[in-house]
Amino acid sequence: MSEHVVHLIELYLDEELQGEERQQFEAHIAVCAECRARLENERRFTALLAQARPLYDVPESIRRRVEQLGSRVSRRRVWPWAVGAAVVALVALAIRIYVPDATHRLLAERMPPGSEFARLAADTHQRWVRGQLPLEIRSQSPEEISAWFADKVPFNLKLPSFRELPDQPKPYQLEGARLVGFKNDYAAYITYRMRNRPISLLVTSETVARPSGGEEIRSQGLVFHFEEINGWKVLTWSDRGLTYALVSDFEERGQASCMVCHPSASEQRKLEDLRR
Amino acid sequence: MIRRWRARNHAEREFERQALAYVEGLYNFAMALTRDRTEAEDLVQETYLRAFRGAAQKLPTGDVKAWLFTIMRNIWINDRRRKRRQPETEELDADEEDGGIGRRPLADDRHRPDVLHEQQALGQAIRQAIESLPDIYREVIVLRFLEGFSYNQIATIIGCPAGTVMSRLSRARTELRKRLNHYRESAASPSLEAGGRATSGRIRGVGEAYE
Repeated sequence: MSEHVVHLIELYLDEELQGEERQQFEAHIAVCAECRARLENERRFTALLAQARPLYDVPESIRRRVEQLGSRVSRRRVWPWAVGAAVVALVALAIRIYVPDATHRLLAERMPPGSEFARLAADTHQRWVRGQLPLEIRSQSPEEISAWFADKVPFNLKLPSFRELPDQPKPYQLEGARLVGFKNDYAAYITYRMRNRPISLLVTSETVARPSGGEEIRSQGLVFHFEEINGWKVLTWSDRGLTYALVSDFEERGQASCMVCHPSASEQRKLEDLRR
Repeated sequence: MIRRWRARNHAEREFERQALAYVEGLYNFAMALTRDRTEAEDLVQETYLRAFRGAAQKLPTGDVKAWLFTIMRNIWINDRRRKRRQPETEELDADEEDGGIGRRPLADDRHRPDVLHEQQALGQAIRQAIESLPDIYREVIVLRFLEGFSYNQIATIIGCPAGTVMSRLSRARTELRKRLNHYRESAASPSLEAGGRATSGRIRGVGEAYE
């Protein structure tokens, strides 16, 4: 059988033969047993490959990740200020006139606490603790993890290194990191373990999220927001262009977890304001 | 203006719904390109991130599926170009028009939860045979036979003329048959000779594929 005929068979099966060429081919197939047999063989081979689909199952983690990205497609169309403000004012007025006070209180109670970023941090920490969140990089090296984030997040993230003293064991262990979708971009998620208890640190740019809600605590020129979300202690704050959320189950406001970036005793004393 | 905003919002949601429906195909294409689960997951995520960012500026019209696959391949090509600067990186075999040796298939991952049909010998043989193909053959096989793209669509995705797609697919088919026969023979299964003659019996686990 000539290569040309084999080629035509392939084009025919791939729906690439059209018009007169297709008609001529079909007329030939009708009278040529050898070509017909070859066509059937090729057809079965193609069907075999199609049956193999999909070759790989999609991991649940990637499904969830892309769905989160999808729900955050940027709605960057900016309403003209006048229209937007007018709508907000109208809605507020409507609520004030038509909604009784009791309903106001009910709505206020039902509003989830804290900022969206804090809630994401708590949720991500919970998934990590439950073993539902695979890490994308496992390393105990802050330098390696910082380098891993370098081309993946739109901000400069440098994790501090713990300077070990000869007779002082390292109080915490860096475990690894991954990307977490937030507001149509990525936040950096880093996980630690201290006293065998997990600590999560979520970092994003200050332009994307700013801490809000919860209990405000001023310390060392920073404003910390503390809240308990689903039983986790969540501290959020902004500093030098980045917003952080630290999640743990440590006592009081979870300030012991601050050691992952402020390990020295003198730095720990500076966090006195965070103690209850 | 409100009506236009609502229409736009609806179109965005429809686009997102459409795009997310292709996650399985994109993950499988990513596995075909990278042959590594972690890299494939990253590639899928990066593809969607770029797609949604692009859609936020201007919703794509036309063939969303081919658009997504084109984005993915471009990201992968750029990543490989960057990695080529590192000495431990394998050279691209994009010029192996003669088929070349290809690569060894991924290690036996019978127990990996993300592999379908692992209990079916034929499905595994097909997967191993496809994985072992050279890059330029593997991608056209996956795009044509598993994702159902036309020659023109494949040409757009991989950035070459339709004539190149045609010849590459033809050689890829021949190469895939050879490799599939190798894996089938190693599992003591019937041959899939191009002449249409099976050496014996039926292929277990599949219906009436070959006799």
